Amino acid sequence: MTRADAAVTLRGVSRVYGRGAAAVRAVDDVTIEFPRGGWTAVMGPSGSGKSTLLHCAAGLERVDAGQVLLGGTDLTAARDRELTALRRTRIGFVFQSFNLIGSLTAAQNVALPLRLAGRRPRGSEVRDTLAAVGLADRVRHRPRELSGGQQQRVAIARAMVTRPDVLFADEPTGALDSSAAHVVLDLMRQMADAGQAIVMVTHDPVAAARADAVIFLRDGRVVDRLAGAGPREVADRLAGWEARR
Amino acid sequence: MMGMSPSFASTQAWTISRRSLAERWQLFAGAFLSVTLGVALVQSSLLLLISAALYEPPAGLSAADRMEFTDSTAAVVSMLGIILGIATFLAGFIISSTFAFTVAQRRRDLALLRLVGAGRGQVRRLLLGEAVLLGTLGAAVGVPLGLVVMAAQTWLLRRMGFVPDGFRGEWREWILAGSFGTGIVLAVAGAMVAARRAARVRPLEALRETGDAARVMTVTRWLAGLLFFGGALALIIVAPHGGPDGGAAMAMNVPLPAAIAAAALSPLVVPLLGCLLPTGSGVAGVLARANLWDARRRSASVAAPLIVLVALVVGTAGAGQTFTTSGIDELRRQTHADLVVGTTGPPATAIAAVPGVATASTESSLPVTYTTGHGEDAETETGSALVIDPAAYALAHSAGSSLTSLSGHAVAAGPSGDVPAHGTVKIELPGLKLGSLPIVAAAPTTMSGGADLLLPPGVAPASLLESAPTRSFVTLRPGADLPTTRAALAKIGTVSTTDAWLTADAKARTKTSDKIMLVIMGLGGLYALIGVVNSIVIGAAARRREFAEARITGLTRTQVVRSALLESAAVTVAGLVLGAVAAAGAYWAAVASTAAVTGHGTLSVPWPLVGAVCLVALLVTGATSLITSWSATRRPPITLLAARE
Ligand SMILES: Nc1ncnc2c1ncn2[C@@H]1O[C@H](COP(=O)(O)OP(=O)(O)OP(=O)(O)O)[C@@H](O)[C@H]1O
Ligand SMILES: [Mg+2]
Repeated sequence: MTRADAAVTLRGVSRVYGRGAAAVRAVDDVTIEFPRGGWTAVMGPSGSGKSTLLHCAAGLERVDAGQVLLGGTDLTAARDRELTALRRTRIGFVFQSFNLIGSLTAAQNVALPLRLAGRRPRGSEVRDTLAAVGLADRVRHRPRELSGGQQQRVAIARAMVTRPDVLFADEPTGALDSSAAHVVLDLMRQMADAGQAIVMVTHDPVAAARADAVIFLRDGRVVDRLAGAGPREVADRLAGWEARR
Repeated sequence: MMGMSPSFASTQAWTISRRSLAERWQLFAGAFLSVTLGVALVQSSLLLLISAALYEPPAGLSAADRMEFTDSTAAVVSMLGIILGIATFLAGFIISSTFAFTVAQRRRDLALLRLVGAGRGQVRRLLLGEAVLLGTLGAAVGVPLGLVVMAAQTWLLRRMGFVPDGFRGEWREWILAGSFGTGIVLAVAGAMVAARRAARVRPLEALRETGDAARVMTVTRWLAGLLFFGGALALIIVAPHGGPDGGAAMAMNVPLPAAIAAAALSPLVVPLLGCLLPTGSGVAGVLARANLWDARRRSASVAAPLIVLVALVVGTAGAGQTFTTSGIDELRRQTHADLVVGTTGPPATAIAAVPGVATASTESSLPVTYTTGHGEDAETETGSALVIDPAAYALAHSAGSSLTSLSGHAVAAGPSGDVPAHGTVKIELPGLKLGSLPIVAAAPTTMSGGADLLLPPGVAPASLLESAPTRSFVTLRPGADLPTTRAALAKIGTVSTTDAWLTADAKARTKTSDKIMLVIMGLGGLYALIGVVNSIVIGAAARRREFAEARITGLTRTQVVRSALLESAAVTVAGLVLGAVAAAGAYWAAVASTAAVTGHGTLSVPWPLVGAVCLVALLVTGATSLITSWSATRRPPITLLAARE
């Protein structure tokens, strides 16, 4: 059974797009555990199935085979109603393109998951979460009035406000310049140090090196794993896998 | 598992509703407009129908005028019934398709909500809450607007002589409940299917527009398309067996189900038209072709009201015209006479005595109230009776030997077919109760109708006949000189050739139904056209980003606008073609029915009307697309793209 220290467990998970000759095994029989209180980076060549793996682990995508366990809950067997409730309470998701709701202010965007869960957010709760991502003075701004880095921090605040078991992030720094990326990565490091489980897809060796462990995907399979490596070592390993075509 | 109080969930839904109202105002303005106009049209038609049904003839009318009055009121009531039916159909169709479209246009917003944890129920409640709000607001403006529409409709009816000057549409208290009910029910019904679907698709697919979210031909669409296609087909098949009146009614009803079927199945057809766009039209053409395929949903929403417009106007008018032409052709074949002499009251000099005249059938028309059936089944109607000489009538109208037994104190069923061929009928002429008379014969039924009853001479007193409009069908002796005879007859009454008289008579009789068509087409066509404009505006509101992306890629503003115009032209042509297919269904039924009734299939297409509808549709969609795409590209593209969500 699931070990107590695993936040998310994938067992023999496969996801196939299309049928017959056109079928793509985006995730191919992956078995992996993401530890509680640890930050895992997922790397690999473009099209290797990183995003698909993340979506499956977060219950956003159906799996064709295998099992996804969030703590003790089997996501593959969960119905939409349960998945929705999990999204509100135990799973946080951050996209490369922020996906904030344009008509709502930063504070309203962050408060949204709480309100959807039927909770009236305490005034301080939203403000504290925004302050934690360094945006205490941008509470009333709308997304179009914020920079890319600021928007991504609002998105992280929105994902974190429910104190989820796991935070999933798909290339959270992909649309940011290096200094904005630095702020976001520092923020995630703080969260991981405070015991937050994070699974992050990235192309950037510098970002991956901030994580506790890095796994490498190729053609939908986990092919390698590194722990406590620096940016140079991560970059070399990635280049190695990308070269073996 | 959700553990939330319903009241809180709905408060939440309202908050988001209000926000999205402010943000996407074009969508909501379009939906609001469709409800307002729909409610106004339905309310006005309903109030007028009730006012007409309860209308009492003014005091002091003569008996004959009173009968005429009752006859014309019955015609107005049935006309208003048709108008109410069409208004309700249009309102239901346009409101529900507009709401479905606005929901589809916001799929991305809804997917974002779902991603941060909104449940299916919450999305559904949000959308239905919006529908209730818009339905209520729309009705609140639609009720006063309905009074304006009613004033316009009453003016139209009065201008055309359908109702006397004293007629007024009257306000009823309960219509408030009716109108608000109509607005809310139609809005919610329209949003329901779309809301269920928006809530059902997986959020990630909705965000990426893949999988289920990208499917346009949903099960509901297929079902609706095939069901109404079957309905239209059934009407077409049954129409030839419905007799003259039933056949006409069924043929004229074919456009409604046929239009729904064509609209539902349009996403299959519209993109195909993209292939017909001239390949030489450069990058704008390439973009337009790609958009036609990629935005099948949007194209279908613009095409749908166009299809209804064409089917309704061209289909109904053409079927009606076909029946009229067929009626005239039939009379032409049946009537054996060279000249027709019109007089007031039977001619003073015997027409048969005029040199050159072989035979003459003199027929005087009287208004009549007649009752058929007994006890519970008794039915009283107002119509017209012809006083005839049976033998001469049979010769002039190819009635053969069917009227030989008509004589003495008896009547025959007339060519209208409304009176049974057997039994008895209780007859009341102006100011004179004739009591029950046996029906001893029946003239052959004709397509164009005519008198309800034929009376032999002697039944109606001469005093009544004195003022009755009378015509005599005259045949000349072989070798008689036409001008001389004509001149002699002109001393008795107004003379015309049989052909000219039949055409004039048919025109006079179909004047009423022609005017009815005008009223229905005017209002219905206008509403459908507004539906088209609505869809284009709603579609363009969501396209600012798409236009900006195209311009960032290197297209000029003119190229973007030209591509939008090309696309709208292709969609318009597709809508016109599909509408024409639906109208063709009505024509098919009309040809089959006229063939079954008269033995000769007739088709008469109102080409000037067809041309006018096509021209107006192309102009309106073209102008709307030009204005919306021009204003959507007003700001430099980067200001839109930089503000990523
Ligand atoms: N909706 C889909 N339908 C069909 N194939 C898909 C779909 N989504 C992804 N794929 C395919 O699955 C494979 C993995 O895609 P995925 O998005 O997971 O890659 P990725 O590793 O995230 O790539 P990148 O680094 O470029 O974002 C790719 O070959 C892609 O073409
Ligand atoms: Mg990816």
